[in-house]
Amino acid sequence: MRTGSIIQLVAIGLVVGAICTAVALLIPWMPVAAGREASRIDFVYWFATVIAIVVFSVVASVLIYEVWKFGVRSDDFTDGPPVHGHTAVEIVWTAIPALLVTAISIVSAVVLAKDGDAGTNPVKINVVAQQFAWEFTYSNGKTYGYLTLPEGLHTKLDITSKDVIHSFWVPQLSQKQDAVPGQHNSLVITPTRLGTYPVICTELCGLGHSVMRSHVDIVSQADFTKFLKGGGSTSGPPGLAVFQKNGCGSCHTLKAAGATGTIGPDLDNLAAYAKEANRGSLEAFILESIVSPAAYIQPHYNDLMPHTFKAQIPPAQLDQLVQYLVENAKQ
Amino acid sequence: MTTAAHQAPEVHAPKSPTTGIHRFTRPGWLRALWTTPLFFGIGIALVCGFRWLFGWDPIWDGVPILTVELVTTPLGFLVGIGGFDYWAYYAAGRPTLAEDHSSHGAKSWRDYFRINTDHKVIGIQYVVTTIFFFCVGGLLAMLFRAELARPGDQYFNPQTFNVLVSDHAALMIFLFIIPAFAGLGNYVIPLMLGAADMAFPRLNALSFWLLPIAGFMLIAGMAAPGGGPSSGWTCYAPLCSHQPVGQVFFNMAVQWAGASSIMTALNFLVTIITMRAPGMTFWRMPLLVWANFTTSLLVVLATPFIAGSQFFVMFDRVLHTNFFEYQQGGYVLGYQHIFWFYSHPAVYIMMLPGFGIISEVISVMSRKPIFGYRLMALSLMAILVLGFSVWAHHMFVAGMASWLRVPMMVTSMVIAVPTGIKIFSWLATMWEGRLHFTTPMLFALGFLSMFVIGGLSGIYLASVPIDIHASDTYFIVAHIHYVLFGGSVFTIFAGIYYWFPKMTGRMYSERLGKLHFWLTFVGFNLTFFPMHYIGLQGMPRRVADYASRFADINLFISIASFGLGASTLVFLYNMARSWRYGPVAEANPWHALTLEWQVSSPPPVFNFDEIPQVVGNPYEYGVPGARHAILGAPTPAPEPVGAAD
Repeated sequence: MRTGSIIQLVAIGLVVGAICTAVALLIPWMPVAAGREASRIDFVYWFATVIAIVVFSVVASVLIYEVWKFGVRSDDFTDGPPVHGHTAVEIVWTAIPALLVTAISIVSAVVLAKDGDAGTNPVKINVVAQQFAWEFTYSNGKTYGYLTLPEGLHTKLDITSKDVIHSFWVPQLSQKQDAVPGQHNSLVITPTRLGTYPVICTELCGLGHSVMRSHVDIVSQADFTKFLKGGGSTSGPPGLAVFQKNGCGSCHTLKAAGATGTIGPDLDNLAAYAKEANRGSLEAFILESIVSPAAYIQPHYNDLMPHTFKAQIPPAQLDQLVQYLVENAKQ
Repeated sequence: MTTAAHQAPEVHAPKSPTTGIHRFTRPGWLRALWTTPLFFGIGIALVCGFRWLFGWDPIWDGVPILTVELVTTPLGFLVGIGGFDYWAYYAAGRPTLAEDHSSHGAKSWRDYFRINTDHKVIGIQYVVTTIFFFCVGGLLAMLFRAELARPGDQYFNPQTFNVLVSDHAALMIFLFIIPAFAGLGNYVIPLMLGAADMAFPRLNALSFWLLPIAGFMLIAGMAAPGGGPSSGWTCYAPLCSHQPVGQVFFNMAVQWAGASSIMTALNFLVTIITMRAPGMTFWRMPLLVWANFTTSLLVVLATPFIAGSQFFVMFDRVLHTNFFEYQQGGYVLGYQHIFWFYSHPAVYIMMLPGFGIISEVISVMSRKPIFGYRLMALSLMAILVLGFSVWAHHMFVAGMASWLRVPMMVTSMVIAVPTGIKIFSWLATMWEGRLHFTTPMLFALGFLSMFVIGGLSGIYLASVPIDIHASDTYFIVAHIHYVLFGGSVFTIFAGIYYWFPKMTGRMYSERLGKLHFWLTFVGFNLTFFPMHYIGLQGMPRRVADYASRFADINLFISIASFGLGASTLVFLYNMARSWRYGPVAEANPWHALTLEWQVSSPPPVFNFDEIPQVVGNPYEYGVPGARHAILGAPTPAPEPVGAAD
């Protein structure tokens, strides 16, 4: 091979590499990490990206060079040089990729082991998924429809499902785990950045899959302690506790409960909806909407609400929930 | 097949009466007209009869009846068109003609619409049918891209959206990519081997006709009460066991397509092992034959697993077994293990034949021998073996035994090595070659560049930590389209253009072919490259509605996808017009050495007037005096290796 063609090849490779590097750096491909695990996954991502850019540049430079130099007229059927192979070259291009993937594997395995380590005394939270809502239960026994995590502490989620397979994911925390019925899976998260981020179901779970969303609040450790002690279900009427325990707020808006969900109808408009639906008293309408949600569906909404609440909420609590919503609607 | 078979086929054809009532008893569409309803009735009678016998109430139950009907009604159709006639006669002890060639070859277009035992007719039947399903699958994709152009609900409710997504994938995978390769292989492999046909021509005909049944079933399922199959092409339990009854159409369609695959693969294996022309040793086989040999091994070993997975979920629904019902002690993740034990090898079933096509095209269009021929064949075998050891990389976040993740990551990474060998060998084959940038070559080059991107994003996904972040997001959607569209579909286009003159005897329009390539190449990248970004940023797959910050980029993707869809019109026009009006093709327009180009275009009914004698390797471009085969020479052995039937 002439020196000239080697220089040309390298030049093409450098140009392609520069373009790829620019694309990799200028576009924010990964979300800004909000957890220690996410930062580590970011590192593996960049490690693989460097290798990918090098490999792609090599392949692209050879391909571009060949297309540029070796084309012939369509009626020219003379043959090229009869080269059948080259053992040394073949060994090289078997060995180098093998080394590269070994390097990525080692880095990945180390990060995987670290990301699964919850330390000696993690904050434990139980996560239950169902069509199409999340429930998060804390050590104090209280349940919410959204997740609150302390900054800087190891937390260990115990994730399961009541019906079909769902998957828990927060893009900024990178960690993901399927919620499988009949099985308890764990996931370690160590938040590092305060803020509110989306909780997304990533496993197709039925009609409401695309709206099975909640959110996670990452708060300071002091605020987290405060959150565990107060707030939530102990303050306020008993119906509020039922509301929060069953994750209603992940789909519905209800100012009094601090719920801001937008998937289902806005419960602050319940009185107007009941009038529009004209299905008996306000109380009867609310009860029917909870125990058989498909009986009447508010226009512009879909039949997405779980049909399981009739079996799931004990009658006494159901009564408290209905009373709570009735009182709220009458205000 | 013996050389005696090369006489005029009419000699062997039994005279069929063609008038009166006999038109309804001889094999054909008229007979299917009454056998199909007959078997439909038998299906109902079977279910209701058993239910009555055992005293089950109600006797008339829709779900089991539908399930049984999806077996018996297509069987009735196959009986009608004559899929089983020869075997039925044989089994009944009635006279049969082992050398009956009455249904061999095509003299008019009608011969493409009946049971035909000619591998060349079957090959064309496959390719045309699969392109039809490719168009249907593409239209479904454009429908849900229209929905995704804006966040919120526009045109479809979530049920319909899920059906569109599920059927798009199922049609593209089971009714387009896998059988399109089977079709091209069907046409080319017996020719490449110097054989007169496949080893089992009647089985070959039957395998093809299972395919339209599977496709029709998937499409008809969309009209089922409650909606069509809607749990994705992966059909995860327990979701899919509790979907509306349309899901049963999916379960059963996969069985028909799978049976078709397995029968064809067995046929390929026996053909390749026993029907090679004299002198055609394994190390002299073209790489397309090697590729189909390894693919067929994969199909035969792996496809029964998806059949099992679909039977189990169907049993859970219809027979109330509890394979995947956790409350009754079922094992939810068991479904995924069984499913991916097929569906990962299936990725190679959808890629290895493409590798074979690319090897043919690049060697011929570069006018150079394949670089490292033996390593190319061995790397196919390496992918075959490794392909069975990586299935659980689809389950890194599924909650399976956590120790399984690192070994599965390592094997998945290792597969990059033989794949890399192939890419580098193709690049080396082109080096200092004399490159012809014909349409098949453009698609081959497009494949090379796109498949490298798909392979590299595959490395990201093999790494467990990155996969934990990217799993079930649009990054996966981008990756799978780079390997299955930029990979497999580009190789299918390369193969169709490359063998078009051989199949039709006419030349396609290079100008339109190149236009098709560039529209597809640009449209493809504009559609799928941005998906990497929205996936990593947080957009999950299979959602009808998404966060508003992804609105602009999704609108862009949707518009690009319509352009990509429109590029197919150029392809269809070129194919249809050239098939009828294209300039007559020479026997060997590419000046290739492999055997299929040494006979006329299209080839004679029985391929070779005399069995060729293979004397050398298939890619000896530039080697002075080298030959792959001698045709027309006195056949040294009267019997070719192996015999038909």
